[in-house]
Parts: sequence; structure tokens; C-alpha cells
Amino acid sequence: MSKRLYELIGKVMNVPISQISDGSGPESIESWTSFNGYVLLYELEHEFNVKFTMEEAIDVKTISDIKRYLRNHGVTLND
Amino acid sequence: MKHIVISMESKLSHYINEASNLNTSSFEKKIRIGILGSFTLNGIEETLRVKCAEKKIDASVFVSGYSQYHQDILNDKSELYRFSPDVVFLILDTRSILGNFFYSPYSLSTDQRKELVEKKAKELINLFEVFTKKSKSKLVVTNFSIPTYSPYGICETKSELGLQEMILKLNSKLYDYARQNQTVYICDFNGFVTRYGESNIFDYRQYFFGDIKVSLEFIPLLAEDFMGYIKTMLGINKKCIVLDLDNTLWGGIVGEDGFSGIKLGLAPPGNAYMEFQHSLLALNQRGIILAINSKNNEDEALEVIKKHPHMVLREENFASIRINWNDKVSNMREIAEELNIGLDSITYFDDDPVNREFMTMNLPEVLTVDLPQDSAFYASVLHGINDFNVLKITEEDLKRKDMYHQEKQRKDFEKNNTSIEDFLKQLDIKLKIKKADQFTIPRISQLTLKTNQFNLTTKRYQEEEILQFSQDSNMLVGCVQVEDKFGDNGITGVFIVKKENQKEWTIDTFLLSCRVMGREIEKGMLEHIIEQARENKIERIKAQYIPTKKNKPVESFLPDCGFHKEDDHWVYSVKSSFKVPNYLKVSVE
Repeated sequence: MSKRLYELIGKVMNVPISQISDGSGPESIESWTSFNGYVLLYELEHEFNVKFTMEEAIDVKTISDIKRYLRNHGVTLND
Repeated sequence: MKHIVISMESKLSHYINEASNLNTSSFEKKIRIGILGSFTLNGIEETLRVKCAEKKIDASVFVSGYSQYHQDILNDKSELYRFSPDVVFLILDTRSILGNFFYSPYSLSTDQRKELVEKKAKELINLFEVFTKKSKSKLVVTNFSIPTYSPYGICETKSELGLQEMILKLNSKLYDYARQNQTVYICDFNGFVTRYGESNIFDYRQYFFGDIKVSLEFIPLLAEDFMGYIKTMLGINKKCIVLDLDNTLWGGIVGEDGFSGIKLGLAPPGNAYMEFQHSLLALNQRGIILAINSKNNEDEALEVIKKHPHMVLREENFASIRINWNDKVSNMREIAEELNIGLDSITYFDDDPVNREFMTMNLPEVLTVDLPQDSAFYASVLHGINDFNVLKITEEDLKRKDMYHQEKQRKDFEKNNTSIEDFLKQLDIKLKIKKADQFTIPRISQLTLKTNQFNLTTKRYQEEEILQFSQDSNMLVGCVQVEDKFGDNGITGVFIVKKENQKEWTIDTFLLSCRVMGREIEKGMLEHIIEQARENKIERIKAQYIPTKKNKPVESFLPDCGFHKEDDHWVYSVKSSFKVPNYLKVSVE
């Protein structure tokens, strides 16, 4: 599941998976602009069939945050 | 179930990624697109570039700053004008235009609401006027979507000039303006919102995040609507729909189920096929040619077409019919040849994925439609195709269906004549040479945009350029209408001549629609130009043949008519006599 998440982030941000870690976010990935952040959220919602609240969406700083919110919405991630 | 067109569209991230890997510099067709908007439109630039590249168009896209459209249009020196676009999409939304009145329209009296609509319409139209004066680009403006929520609830429609009616009125004023102005088009954004649903298009979270008023999921679909304009401007639209029969125009297999066993009628699933046929008929009446390419016993299939009580399309609706056991690719080539159109002008509908694959592999230039398995969606798939557009529907478009029927009669008549000369003599061909005026200019432009085969220079001109030429005393612009004993072919030839100096004219454009090729109409047209030159004491007429992949039919036209080669041009000495076939009756209007 974690791989699926990394692949999706890699695709949206156009970066190799090897450059992504749980600590990655807008600070470390250059292409993670606020707009690409919206694109990522909407792709995540489609991929995992969840709906993030607006507050969750605003709060995303790193991939760890995304994982936490996905778990809150009942998505099981096997690390 | 999701709208069928949504499920067929790619995600925005696909376009954003693809856009960084495009190599479009070798594409012949190029377009410069400007995007102006009243809200965040990120992603549309990348999507348009990728969608254009898929159609072999090299697109450069300029996106104006966030809600900077006023400044960009009003300022002569703005980046927009420096970019020099061919088409500008101005994307507006109801919230931005109404400001706080969007929330509380009824804080204004009825008269004040009327004034507000007038004022907003005037402001916008002024902006369009400034733009059309400063730029030669086409301007495509979205209309305003009509909000479904009203603070007046069920009384909304009882209120005089309520919120919804205000928007309707504003839209109607924009339509009135666009009807009067050839370079301005109104794109039906309200229709786009209706098609996919307001609650899907407008996602409150995205709106609060970043003033995104078209949800990211729908940006590719909005771009697809814009492609309808871009493809039409570049003349790469489809002219003909070729159809399979079994399980495409009717359900079941006529060879197995028989005349009365096929599914075609008022009850499901037969009504889905009738619905599809009705949509095809409407396109046929608007000028799209229909043809049949089917593996079947011809007699059995034709019996259905001629006699089945629920067939909507009849034999006369099909300009070419291939019902046989030959392979479908050979049939398709024959259809294109018979109709004298390029394979890239054809759209193909077939329910069988194997046939579709065979067609795509062998004739990739044909647009083979990915039909869903369920016939209930055939009509909506057809409605989702935006390749049948024209910038203006001309009289010729409306008459095309009859013209092709007449052409079939002409071909039968030709078979009964032993020599081509006898055939042409008996056709009783009349040529009317016409000037470029408000009635003929739309068709003249359309022909320059669409004609590929009998076209000496393949120069593409928009309506406003033709208008400019027609007002220039140093230019001669005309067209020819062709009639014969079977009917009126409409305006099917165009010439544009530059009067270079007192001794020499140059033929800039000389073209003939494929529909009237092979009848020496071109000689009647050329004679008219030579006559005009003679009257003006011109000595030489210069012309050029610019070869393309498609204009081989016109390769030897100039030497055949007595032009001789001088450097890279062909020259005709006006003194020499020019012979026009005596069966052509030419008149000048």
C-alpha cells in the first residue's frame, strides 16, 4: 500500500520514487507546489476512495501526514 | 454510473506529466493560444498542449496572471498582445462578475438588478471591442453558468429578473454581440456545467483552497471543449461518418436474426439504436456525410435500410455504401476514393473491437471511435465527439446531404455514357462566378481552410482575412458556384489574385472542392482571371504550385493550361489564347 502511495506521489510530482521518503513534502520536493498539492489530494481521493476534510488538506506538511489521514479514513497501509 | 465521456478522459496529472516530455517542433500545424480567466486555471495550459500534440498540432500557450484579464486586454503593451495569439479563451465565472450580489441579488430592487445586468454586459462588450480592435485573434468567451441555489428558494422563478434570469439575460446579451461579430464566439460553459453537474464541477474545498472554480478532475474536459474550436480553426475536422451495420445501427445480426428479428424499434434495446440513428441523421442534415462499411449479404442489409419501419436513416442518407465480404480496410479506402475525401476526414463506428483494432492498425488516420459495449451509450459517445464542428454553418453545409445524393445519380448517369466528353456535355454545367461579399465570404474562408487536394498553394484564411482582401483594391477575390442537370453543387471554387503592378498579377489561391473535380470547372475559373487581366491590360499572370502530401491532383494543372516555368514560378502570357471546354456555360454575377 505504501508503494502504491509513493508511486502516485512520484507520478503527480514527476520525481523518481527513490527520491521520496515519509519525510518528503513541499519543503524537500521542488515540484510540490501548492497547485500540485491540490492535484495530489484529488488523485489520492480517487485512488483510495476517501474524502479528506478541508482542514486535513491544509495541514499536509509531509507524506507521514498523508499516511496518518489515510489511516484515519480506514485505509490500511502496510509499511 | 459516471458520464460516459468522463470515464473515457485521462486525469489531469497525466497531462501535467506528459506536457514536460512533448516534442512538437516537427508538426506542420501550429497555433498560439491565450488563456485569460477570472479564477485559478492551472493545468489547462499543459492539458491543451498535450491534447494538441495528440492531434499533431504544435501549440504555444500563454496563460495570463490570476484574474488579470482586464489589464491584459486594455494595455496595448501587455504580454498577451506581445504573444500575438491566434485564439484567446476568456474564461469567466458568475461569482466574479456579480461580486457580493451573487449572494444577495435581492438587496437590489428589480430596476437596480436590470441596471446591473446592463452595466455588466456593457463592461464586457467594451472589453471585447478593445480586444478585437487590438488583435486579429479569435476570442472565445465562456458564458456564465446559471447557479442552481437561490436565497429565494421556490420563489426564485416567481421573481422578476431573479438571480437566474439575470444570468440568462447577461448571456443573451453576449450571444447578441457574438452574432454581430465574426471573430467573437461564446463557448457554452453553462452547458458544460449542466452536462457534468454543478456539484461535480464546483468543489467547495478546491474553491476555498485556491479559488479553483472548475474542479481539477474537469480541467481536461473543459480543455476538450476548447479543442472543438482549435481543431476547427486549423481545419482538421471530420467530414464523414462511416458506419458498420449489425450491432451498430441495429441490434443483432441480420444474416442470423432476419429482417424481423433484429433489435430496432420503440422498446429497449431497439430504441437505443433508433436514438443513435436520430443523432446521426441530425448531423447528416447539418452537412456531415454518412457511409456504410459492413460485412453482410448486401440484399438482406439493404432490405432493412429500405423497408424496416423503424430505420431512421434510409438509403438516400448514405453517400457511399459498401456491404460485402471484403475486408473493411479495403472498403474504407474505396469509400474515401469514391467520396473524394481524405481518410483523415473520416470517423468510423463499429461495435466489434477486432474490426476497430484492424482499422486503427492499418489506417491510423481514420478516427476509429472506441464504442462502449452497451448500446445505450452510443448516442452519448457520438455527442461527445467534437470533430464535426465548422466555424460557421453555411448554406453548402445544409445542402451537402442532397448534393451527395445527386452525385450518386451523376455517377450512374456517367456509367450510361460511353465517353467522358459525352457525359460532361450532357451534364449541362453552369458556372456562376461570384464576388466575395457578406454572403460568400464565410464559404470562401471555409473552402480555404478545408480544401487539400485541388489547391495550388494550400493557404488557409480566416473569414476576417478574406473580408480584408475583398476590400483591398489590389486584390481580386472571387468564387464559383456550380450547377448541373442534377442540382446545385453550391460554391465549390475559390480564387484570390494579387494585383502586383500594372503589368503583372499573381495567383495567391486557386482551389476547387473535391466534389466538383474532374469536370474542368477550373478552366472556367482560370479563364475568368485571364479575361479580367486582359481587360486591365495585364501582361503576365504568375502562379505557384506548392506541393503538399495531398495536392498531387493539381500538380500538372499550370503547365496543362499553358503556364511556363520561370525560376520557382509559373507564368502565363495573357496574350496567348485560352481555351475553355465548350460545354461549360460561364456567367459572371
